[in-house]
Amino acid sequence: MTNHDIVSLLVTCQLAAPAATVALVGVPALLGRPPSERATSRIVGAGFAIGFIAGLLTLATLVARGFVPEIVHLGSWFSVGHHEASVELVADALSVPYVCFSTGLCGLVNAFARKYLHREPGFTRFFLLLAVFGTGMNLMVLAGSIDVLFAGWELLGISSTLLIGFFLERGNAVRAAMRAFATYRVCDVGLLAAAVMVHRAVGSGDFDRLFGENWPNGTCLVPAATATIVSLLLVFAAMGKSAQVPFSGWLPQAMEGPTPSSAIFYGALSIHAGAYVLLRCEALLDQSPLARLLLIAIGLGTALHANVVGRVQTDLKSMLAYASMTQSGLIFAEIGFGWRVIPLVHVISHAILRSLQILRSSSALHDRHALEAALGGHPGADRWALGRLLPEGLQARIYRIALDRGFEEMVVGRLFIVPVLWLLECAAELERRWLVFLGGDAGPGGGRP
Amino acid sequence: MIPPDDRGLLVAAAITVAAPLVGSAVTAVGLTRGRPRAFAVAMAFVSLLASLAITMLWSQTDGAPRLFGDRLGGGRLVCIDGITAVLLPYVALVEMAILLVAPRRALEPSAVARLLFGAAATFALFLTSHPLLLVALWCATALPTWISVRSTPGGYAAARVFAIAMSTAVLCMAIGTVFLIIDPPWAAAAGWVGSAGGWLVAIAVMFRKGIFPFHSWYPALFSGATMSTALAATMPQVASYTAVRLLIGHVDHPEGVAAELVVLSQLALVTATYGAALAIVQRDLRSLIGTLAMSQSALVLAGLAGTLPMELNGAFCVWISSGLALTGIGLVSWTLESRAGPIRLDTPQGRFWDAPALAAFFLLFGLAGIGLPGTLSFVADDLIVSGSLDEQLHAGLLVILATVLSGIAMMRGWFHVFGGPVDSEGMQHAILPRERLALTILLAVLFLLGLWPDPLVRALDRATGRLLGVSAAATDRDVHDLQDLPQGR
Repeated sequence: MTNHDIVSLLVTCQLAAPAATVALVGVPALLGRPPSERATSRIVGAGFAIGFIAGLLTLATLVARGFVPEIVHLGSWFSVGHHEASVELVADALSVPYVCFSTGLCGLVNAFARKYLHREPGFTRFFLLLAVFGTGMNLMVLAGSIDVLFAGWELLGISSTLLIGFFLERGNAVRAAMRAFATYRVCDVGLLAAAVMVHRAVGSGDFDRLFGENWPNGTCLVPAATATIVSLLLVFAAMGKSAQVPFSGWLPQAMEGPTPSSAIFYGALSIHAGAYVLLRCEALLDQSPLARLLLIAIGLGTALHANVVGRVQTDLKSMLAYASMTQSGLIFAEIGFGWRVIPLVHVISHAILRSLQILRSSSALHDRHALEAALGGHPGADRWALGRLLPEGLQARIYRIALDRGFEEMVVGRLFIVPVLWLLECAAELERRWLVFLGGDAGPGGGRP
Repeated sequence: MIPPDDRGLLVAAAITVAAPLVGSAVTAVGLTRGRPRAFAVAMAFVSLLASLAITMLWSQTDGAPRLFGDRLGGGRLVCIDGITAVLLPYVALVEMAILLVAPRRALEPSAVARLLFGAAATFALFLTSHPLLLVALWCATALPTWISVRSTPGGYAAARVFAIAMSTAVLCMAIGTVFLIIDPPWAAAAGWVGSAGGWLVAIAVMFRKGIFPFHSWYPALFSGATMSTALAATMPQVASYTAVRLLIGHVDHPEGVAAELVVLSQLALVTATYGAALAIVQRDLRSLIGTLAMSQSALVLAGLAGTLPMELNGAFCVWISSGLALTGIGLVSWTLESRAGPIRLDTPQGRFWDAPALAAFFLLFGLAGIGLPGTLSFVADDLIVSGSLDEQLHAGLLVILATVLSGIAMMRGWFHVFGGPVDSEGMQHAILPRERLALTILLAVLFLLGLWPDPLVRALDRATGRLLGVSAAATDRDVHDLQDLPQGR
């Protein structure tokens, strides 16, 4: 067995283990015989554990060989003419540490949620969606082609939406889930179009035909114009998933989901999916100063917006959501500056800290109440030291803007959502009247008992 | 004289049509002894097996179309090619699933007889390229639908809308086909008659497929008819098949597409986007399914009118994936409606805890219809988007917009049906074994073809290559048979 075979086996394990748990939990559940709570959490946990161990072994192998990347070709998925979608994975200095980190974190959240969601009616659903998320994450991180990356990306979006709307009986959760899904869907256009552009440019979606050399010193193999268009499309896609202004409104609402999923999605992994994709395609960004400038502007703008707005939030989860957004914005700016290792380290360290904070949020509130009881009063709020340097009038104005969340919701709503929905309602009403005219009486279905 | 190798194909084709036809006759005269479902499902299963046999036998051939019977207007009485071999089992599966899931009250002997007759006519339509037979089969497929809608309580208005659309479609189709036979537009000395024939057939296809501005009957049918009637009438997409046989067949692609197809494809793109956008603001579940079905059906036609194998391949994949997914959603909705009454979408209805199994099926079919990785729709979207963008930028962008909007509409539908406050006094709606069986089979096919799409895509590649006249291995026999094809290439 050659070294390549061993790495191929290990990488396949990282992907197959969580995917198998989706089938092992999902198929019996669909057939009306869901596994018990213990079996469910153990199956999903075992999938993450196997993926994590396989990831560590791959990392050890890569370290021993000086991080020379291994391309794992699992075959052609389908092909039509010049369009070939191949299942290609890559084990390199970016993907393997990231997959170890993400699988490990998923395993920890799995262990936490086993007790946190004990006897929750949607227990199986949560773990099933966690397994789908883990599969999607590993697929995206290990992707060696833009087709595989897009598949993983879509799985992240769907599992995220369904977990935001986990408490289906709550109206807010349903609205938040729809908001997040609509944002994801709109921004996914960027990745889909980028994938098509890549196919047109190099005849396949494989990254090794887009970039030369190894990460983080990749070189771009396509012309600058193509690189710019693809980079801009990727930035657009990343903005939605990583909640960058003006697509950030969904993130605070997304905290409607269960705490463990909020921790792993919006504190750790999903929020950084956009940054990961940009890091993976860093060689393209190097060829596109426009995309890099845009990234810096968007990132710094988002960081400023989220930092200011986050300071006036009155609930812990919203504060943490804005804190995540701030760091995510800074990471975007770092990528825009052309740094590679710093944003990767920033992503991992921020993800660990934030997921811990979100997981601790319920008990932190309890601790806070205990502290207040012990002190016999409010321990005093932290003040924004820099803010006090500003004139009083400006402070009040910024406070007002922050309370309205930077008017982001209002602007997006008034400029896009409301007019589009109004137009569609008008069209639907015209359709109804036309049907009444054609069909007579109350129109089709009008007399249905 | 039929070659010995082709006899098996012909026998399987005959069984595919005869089984539901016999079933219809037996049910109509009341010989099913009070068990019309079991008998009808058995007949549909025989059709499914026979159609699968066609697919198996076809895969062992050299890929040249098998044509039987007299030639007329570029068509033959029986035409079995790659398209037939792929689409026939899909239609049979849809018909069987409908019969398995249909609530008991929808399966009166007369309704079952109509469903089986409609199925037989649909199978026959997919097995012919004879223009006059296509016209007759358009009538034969539309008539049972109209009778069913008319006999549905509250279905009078829908029946009227359907009748207006179908009678216009059949009239245009009949006149257009006669014109095409008299003056084939692909002949060297074609005149205005042939051109008019092409346009009339194109208009007929637009009516029958619910292409804007002739789309109103599509959502009306879903709102006013029983779900079985609506699904059986729309999911096979007989107009798409007719377009393949009569319009795409005589277009000389290397030199540019015919004007009819250009207009059809542009209007189909508009319909796909408009239908998906309209689905977002629908106020009841049936209208949502109707508008989504309209959008997906138009997307198929937009792809079929393309000039690239990838686009056509994507269109056929969308045909199958959206058909199976929408059939699943329609059947789940019907199952839920039969227990809990009509379902509104104005506000979240809170049905999840009443019917968790149906919620899971609805969600999976919904996701399988909007491009969930691992399902056929992911492959289909990839192919049709890539193909459309390769051909025309605006077409690609409209296809992307349509898929984005239909995704939002689908998820809104799921969250509004199953999300929301729970009615603590509501009843639990268990799913019956036969319902679970049918829905599981449909899902399994969607996932199987999504995870392992290569055989389907390759089969379609071969078939679309022939449609576009770019067959790689043009043996002597291929050339001979291609001359026999409607396109005359």
